[in-house]
Amino acid sequence: MLPFDIATPGTLAEALALLDQYDEEACVFAGGTALVIALRQRMIAPRVVVSIGQLPGLSEITYSEAEGLRIGALARHAQIAASDPVRRHYPVLAQLFGGLANPQVRNQGTVGGNLCYADPATDPPSCLLALGAEVIIAGRMGQRRLPMRAFLVDFFTTALEPGEILAGIHIPPPQPGEHALYRRHLRTPAEHRPLANVALRFVAGPDGHSWKDVRLAIGAAVPVALPMDEAGRALTGRPITLAVAGEAAALVAERLEPISDSRGDAAFRTAVVRAAVRRIVAEAAGLDWTETT
Amino acid sequence: MHREDFGLAGEGEGIPQVNAREKVLGCAVYAGDMRLPRMLHARILRSPHAHARITGVDLTAALALPGVRVAVSGRDVPARAWGLSHKQQHVLARDTVRFVGEEVAALAADTPEIADAALDLIQISYEPLPALLDPADALTTGAPLVHAGSNLADEINIQRGDIDAGFAQADLIHEETYRTHSQYPGYMEPMATVAATDANGRLTVWTSTQSVFLARQRLAEALDRPVSSIRVIQATVGGGFGGKIVEERSSVIAAFLATRTDRPVRLGLTRIEDMLSGCLSVPETIRLRLGMRRDGTITAKEVEILADCGAFAGLAPDILIVSAMRSDNMQRIANIRTRARLVYTNTLPRGAFRGFGGTQMLFALNSHLATMAEKLDLDVFDVHRRNAIGPGDTTVHGWKIGSCALEACLTHVRKAIDWDAKRARPKGTGVLRRGLGVAAAMHVSGNRTIGNWDGATILLKVNEDGRAVILTGESDMGQGAFTMLTQICAKELGIPPAHVTVQAPDTDISPFSIGTLASRVTINAGAAMVKAARQARSQILAAAAEKYSHPEDDLEIADGMVRARGTGNLTVPLPEICRYHIFRHGGEGIIVSASHDPETVRMDAEHRGNIAPGYSFAAQAVEVEVDTETGQVRLIESWLADDCGVAINPLAVHGQSNGAAVQSLGWALYEEPRFEGGQLSNGNLADYTMATADAVPRLHSAIVDSFEPNGPLGAKGASETAILPGAPAIANAVYEAIGLRITDLPITPEKILAGLARAKGARDAAL
Amino acid sequence: MSTHRIHLTLNGEAIEAEVPGNRLLADFLRDDLGLTGTKRGCETGVCGACSIHLDDTVTKSCLCLAFQADGRQITTVEGLADGATLHVLQEAFMTHGGLQCGYCTPGFLMASAELLARNPMPSGDEIRKALSGNLCRCTGYQGIVDAVGAAARTLHGI
Repeated sequence: MLPFDIATPGTLAEALALLDQYDEEACVFAGGTALVIALRQRMIAPRVVVSIGQLPGLSEITYSEAEGLRIGALARHAQIAASDPVRRHYPVLAQLFGGLANPQVRNQGTVGGNLCYADPATDPPSCLLALGAEVIIAGRMGQRRLPMRAFLVDFFTTALEPGEILAGIHIPPPQPGEHALYRRHLRTPAEHRPLANVALRFVAGPDGHSWKDVRLAIGAAVPVALPMDEAGRALTGRPITLAVAGEAAALVAERLEPISDSRGDAAFRTAVVRAAVRRIVAEAAGLDWTETT
Repeated sequence: MHREDFGLAGEGEGIPQVNAREKVLGCAVYAGDMRLPRMLHARILRSPHAHARITGVDLTAALALPGVRVAVSGRDVPARAWGLSHKQQHVLARDTVRFVGEEVAALAADTPEIADAALDLIQISYEPLPALLDPADALTTGAPLVHAGSNLADEINIQRGDIDAGFAQADLIHEETYRTHSQYPGYMEPMATVAATDANGRLTVWTSTQSVFLARQRLAEALDRPVSSIRVIQATVGGGFGGKIVEERSSVIAAFLATRTDRPVRLGLTRIEDMLSGCLSVPETIRLRLGMRRDGTITAKEVEILADCGAFAGLAPDILIVSAMRSDNMQRIANIRTRARLVYTNTLPRGAFRGFGGTQMLFALNSHLATMAEKLDLDVFDVHRRNAIGPGDTTVHGWKIGSCALEACLTHVRKAIDWDAKRARPKGTGVLRRGLGVAAAMHVSGNRTIGNWDGATILLKVNEDGRAVILTGESDMGQGAFTMLTQICAKELGIPPAHVTVQAPDTDISPFSIGTLASRVTINAGAAMVKAARQARSQILAAAAEKYSHPEDDLEIADGMVRARGTGNLTVPLPEICRYHIFRHGGEGIIVSASHDPETVRMDAEHRGNIAPGYSFAAQAVEVEVDTETGQVRLIESWLADDCGVAINPLAVHGQSNGAAVQSLGWALYEEPRFEGGQLSNGNLADYTMATADAVPRLHSAIVDSFEPNGPLGAKGASETAILPGAPAIANAVYEAIGLRITDLPITPEKILAGLARAKGARDAAL
Repeated sequence: MSTHRIHLTLNGEAIEAEVPGNRLLADFLRDDLGLTGTKRGCETGVCGACSIHLDDTVTKSCLCLAFQADGRQITTVEGLADGATLHVLQEAFMTHGGLQCGYCTPGFLMASAELLARNPMPSGDEIRKALSGNLCRCTGYQGIVDAVGAAARTLHGI
């Protein structure tokens, strides 16, 4: 590791001031699980590492029926998975954060760090998209909010401007009848990074057979997690059958512009995403996807 | 030796490993944990080119950095080349680099940080040369030459019987070409070495090795100095799997650096470096043609192998022999024609890996037998049984089979996995489909291959308190050699295992040994241990007989006491006799040396001869589930039965079998070193994926009833045999699940999906 | 490069140290303090051989910088036994074939200890999931899973 200085500001304002002062020579350090590897591999070479892990008030998880859920950027994955309000109101998030990476990384890594690092091969973004999450960004001029969709820009790139720090995530309260599911697919059982993941969120219609406000999002197989609005519309207002699930899967597969690399070329990732969409829709509708393709 | 000679018929006791306590306390000392006063930290600079001439070396800037104590390049190293059959390697590349990652310079500094910084200051200039990356091109005209002369590193031709007549007798002839890939040993401890010279220039090397004496021999060659000027001590070894026999290169560099400074040097590799300078297994392309009668009898076997040893031959010629001929001995087979060739490429050197060439050929053979059984509408178990070699047989290559419980292994796994009921169930048509597969395997226990000796020597001291110390040169790399020796010693001496200590191998102190390879330690060192313990027991009993004027043949040692068997009126604590052995005129402490060299022979020029005192067998049956939409293959059940003779420590044998099962699973499904332009592109454990606990089901391991007449207490080797059947069992199970025969490993999701798409295309076209 | 004075509790003992900013926690423990039970097996946070407890949670010390230990409690494998009395997991790993070469063992022990503190009677699947951040190449995991299950039963007096 190349040498660098570490700054340990006591407040968010101090942290922002340090970023302002050192500009591009600074990097923000939260849990460290990704950043330490990047530092060791000399992928980044900051002069000053601004540690925010010790800042008070940025790791809280709060919920109210009116406001919904707020997760501090420094909340650790395991902490989110174990949080009472998360388990009660957003079980899909408890499942996601309880299965991300591996146990040690879940104990150390933060949700904010995960989102800011913007490695596509990860789990939270697609699910947060489907849940309609917003990010709360702190800057010297105050806070701003961005929909998750606008925050995720590209491969290892977010909408965070220089000098800004991600402060938290806000997720609206679940509507009556809202369901959310999340599935990750690994290339092989021996891998821990997702090859593809899919999140589905909808409000069950009064008839119990059709859905409304459907949001489907794909992650990991694409450079940035993407909402699949067309497939969402195809799942709206009609009885969900295996054929409908297949239709939605085909729509996603047609539109997909997947990553193509040594862990999976575009055709393979498309096949996996197609299967993952079909399955999650079928599962949400209580259908058995294992019978036919 | 007969079963009734020993009280061990059945099994020995599954006691914990004798070095388990230090390991759970975290105080076992691996080479990378050692720290000597004034110790320097070494780093290596590697070639970025697959093939290039070194045109310039400039170490001045690195040497000028404060804290850098020594920096060397290929221009500083001895001209003498080292190697096993082929002398072609040097401590550092001298004029030419032959693969990406080859070591070109090394340095040592006061701290790891200074060493890292200095590495950036070394200037090497290269003139790139055309590189040979594909072994299929190696023997074509105009291919770049890796070494002067030819890219052919070795060739083996074997003929037995009448191959044409054999094929003429066949009702079915089946030919297929199989491709196997390299596997990284993946031991958890990356190579580490500490080396230091004393005031007289004598070199001491503490390292992670499977053989201290082979390590010393190689250091003597590479550093061009007398064997006796070097002392090699085995540090605790964090796994080897063949990769730490003698081909890894970093210990040589650490030792050389130590000879160039008066301070101790530690070289601990990072994981990527270990993947580059350890040893991947030998990839092979195998064309197999078998003739079979309608009843399943094999009438002819024709084999053609093209194997890739990378830039240096290392142990690969020996591995090629195993691939070429070992599986022939598993079956009663008369007509054989084999041509095996080993070629160089400008890629990482490949070499020894658990199974030593057996995995490659047994993947082909077991895949083939399953295919042919289906074509002939035969039960695959019947095909194995009909051809299986048996106890007392002499094989086509002259191997004399003592014990052989291959049939018992097959019977066990068939029953355990509930083969017949599961095979009878209707074929799946859904998205997830299950299938069963089985494979059989054999391996040697010992091998008379390194010089005309496959022996072992044990020095045994019995101290004045009646406790024993064993001096051995055989390495414990985690597999339990020290525990095996302890158990035999304790049993033969009549003392508790806790009263036995095994001294770690040290070339200055231990008797000369070959080390841990070829599954030879239990059968050979175990036999020497029996002899040494019995010799010590005789001396003790003779001393007791003298002291108490009691007939020696009526005395025994049990529970730490010397006592009379018949009359029962004499019971003396063992320490009393051990003290008496010293404190008398002409007395001495008890120290015995016993050797055992099995009655085996080296192969003759035609590759005939009984090379091993025993042969081990195994069978494995698995059930897999294939996801036809994503191509994912999941292991559902695995049942492995091992014929290792009498298990001296069943806990250790089960541990070996389970570990082997996961390693073979990894080879079959998960692990594949990938290269881009000769450069390893997934040289880290995030991208080279070894299975974690959640990727593996509960594993089942069985030890079948068997007694090896040439083995100590009926034992022979375990562990290597167990890695052999896994990959073909999985491939056969995948075939049963989805009707797709995968012939090139690993079985990746992409290959599954592509194969299913091809099959669907063919079906659609037929409609 | 500036250094940082850190105060922490290590295996029950209060210590303070001066560390450079880029000091890895794993290197601090092994090279500065001589606690070599914590192993280095990869550089990418995959193998888990460097697992320690940071406060009550198992963490990979190769993914932490030493300054992050300031004000925290660290337990390494050296702190698991109570004097000469082995931790129940250490006993179980020995007697159930939970180790062979031993290099991964400290990491597995630390991950298992956290699991049992959180979930005193885990199922086989729960054990496998809890240990999925650690690699072992020797045992095929069966002996390790058996050992953790046996330790849980011992703690329950079963």
